[in-house]
Amino acid sequence: MRSVECVIVGGGPAGLAAARTAARHGVRVLLVDENPGLGGQYYRQMPATFRAPDHAKLGTESLEGRRLIDEVQALGVELRLDSVVWGIFDQRIVALATRDETQRIEAQTLILAPGAYDRPVPFPGWTLPGVITAGGAQNLMKGYRILPGRRVLIAGSGPLLLVVAHHLLSGGAHVAAICEAASMRQLWRYAHRLLPHLNFVQQGYRYRREIKDASVPFMTGHVIRRAVGRSEVTGAVVTHCDDQWRPVGGTELHFDVDTVVVGYGFVSSLELSRLAGCEHRYEPGLGGYVPVRNREMESTVPGVFIVGDGAGVAGSAVALEEGHMAGLTVANRLGRLLGRDHSREASRARGRLLHLAGFRRVMDGLYRFGPGLYTLANEQTTLCRCEEVTVAEALEAVRDGAGHVNEVKAWTRVGMGRCQGRMCGPALAHLIAGATGKAVADAGIFTPRPPVKPVALAALAREAS
Amino acid sequence: MTYGELRMTPTSERGRALSILVDGEAVIAYEGESLAAALLASGRRFTRWTAKSGEARGYFCGMGVCQDCLVTVDGLPNVRACMATVKDRLRVETQRGLGDWGVTP
Repeated sequence: MRSVECVIVGGGPAGLAAARTAARHGVRVLLVDENPGLGGQYYRQMPATFRAPDHAKLGTESLEGRRLIDEVQALGVELRLDSVVWGIFDQRIVALATRDETQRIEAQTLILAPGAYDRPVPFPGWTLPGVITAGGAQNLMKGYRILPGRRVLIAGSGPLLLVVAHHLLSGGAHVAAICEAASMRQLWRYAHRLLPHLNFVQQGYRYRREIKDASVPFMTGHVIRRAVGRSEVTGAVVTHCDDQWRPVGGTELHFDVDTVVVGYGFVSSLELSRLAGCEHRYEPGLGGYVPVRNREMESTVPGVFIVGDGAGVAGSAVALEEGHMAGLTVANRLGRLLGRDHSREASRARGRLLHLAGFRRVMDGLYRFGPGLYTLANEQTTLCRCEEVTVAEALEAVRDGAGHVNEVKAWTRVGMGRCQGRMCGPALAHLIAGATGKAVADAGIFTPRPPVKPVALAALAREAS
Repeated sequence: MTYGELRMTPTSERGRALSILVDGEAVIAYEGESLAAALLASGRRFTRWTAKSGEARGYFCGMGVCQDCLVTVDGLPNVRACMATVKDRLRVETQRGLGDWGVTP
């Protein structure tokens, strides 16, 4: 089996930053990503076959990402694109597969940067074609310059909603409304704490003004109530919500739209850190369960590091610093960056992370996730999109005594499909908690099983050395 | 339902024009586009019918996680359209249920 000094899984901001730092210090790095190109979601690039990319229109992150990718490539980092990591065995044996073959690689050090995905929130109509996530919308517009629809309602929470609206408007779509679940009443209370982060604030202000100029209603304290349509979206209904984002009856507004973009924050992708045997703990402010790490980004499994949104959702600026920090630690472990040289750089990175944490706390205060959102679904709503299990079926199992997500899975097939419960897991945990009175953390998380992403049997049958 | 032109940039700024075959119908796509992007841009909003209830599903998460935009590509079922890249003359079929593997059990 081939052995590599450092394997990094995930080519988004965290993975790229880790690769750059480690490679700069002479570490031999192998970077794996499932996508055909580097960048991840935030730094998503257009295909190389596209011409004349207008970076001004795409936002600064596209250009920033391009520079980082170019740097990583210039440093001679070995790339494995279009390659899915489908399992991790014996803590640091990485199994990856292309369409045609699989390969096991021993990672002397392993940096996981798997990122996050849009928090799935079941509501009536959420499986209709035309309901898409904010990340999915961004992927289409940033990655391929394609609009998800012509008349769009945006519902969710956080600054990303403004960015989605900006891309939609710049592409000529009609944005019917933006429903921000948070009340934003506390904005002024936080104003002074935002001062050290003016760059973020200015960008947010520019987006807000653009939305105002386009006469798009920005409705705070509103959530999606249901998506309407028979075989695809033809409308959407929104309603007021309370501070816990629980829909308040009575006040419903209907919009004629062909597309609903939903973005209620993100949850970490944990399947690889779980397969590696890392310990996790429940941190609602970071999206749910997150891996336990020390300040050098090392998990509870020696030699396995976890960085970026996959270790708790904190955004790209934090991801870059964490990736850098892990790169420093790996270079140190491998004897390429020692003593004072290492501690000086590490302490600088720690300082920057501390500065960013201040901004994070403000964002957490403003957009704190409201679990009342999980009451949007009714008994007939599909909970598990893969196995088509309804909320009622899951609740029946809970009433019969199932108290952990894995128990409900065994009884109803919820979470047993191809997505391995990534879509229904968070909602199911909240349902169990709501029905039994136990803490959400105690409802647990699904056990991931390799292959964590679908791999063709033909590829498994052919192993490269 | 028609949605008009969903591609935000002129075709001159995109990759080479290709033709893919979707349920036997020729659809224009541009080199480099994901299959999901090309299907959506052509107004095709669903990629499959589910196994149990037969309801339509399509592009949802857009990043390879949800497994809802599955299609059959060149006879191979359960390909995630959002993670596949278009190729000239790719044969794509809207998938029914778990897909037809062309083998009898």
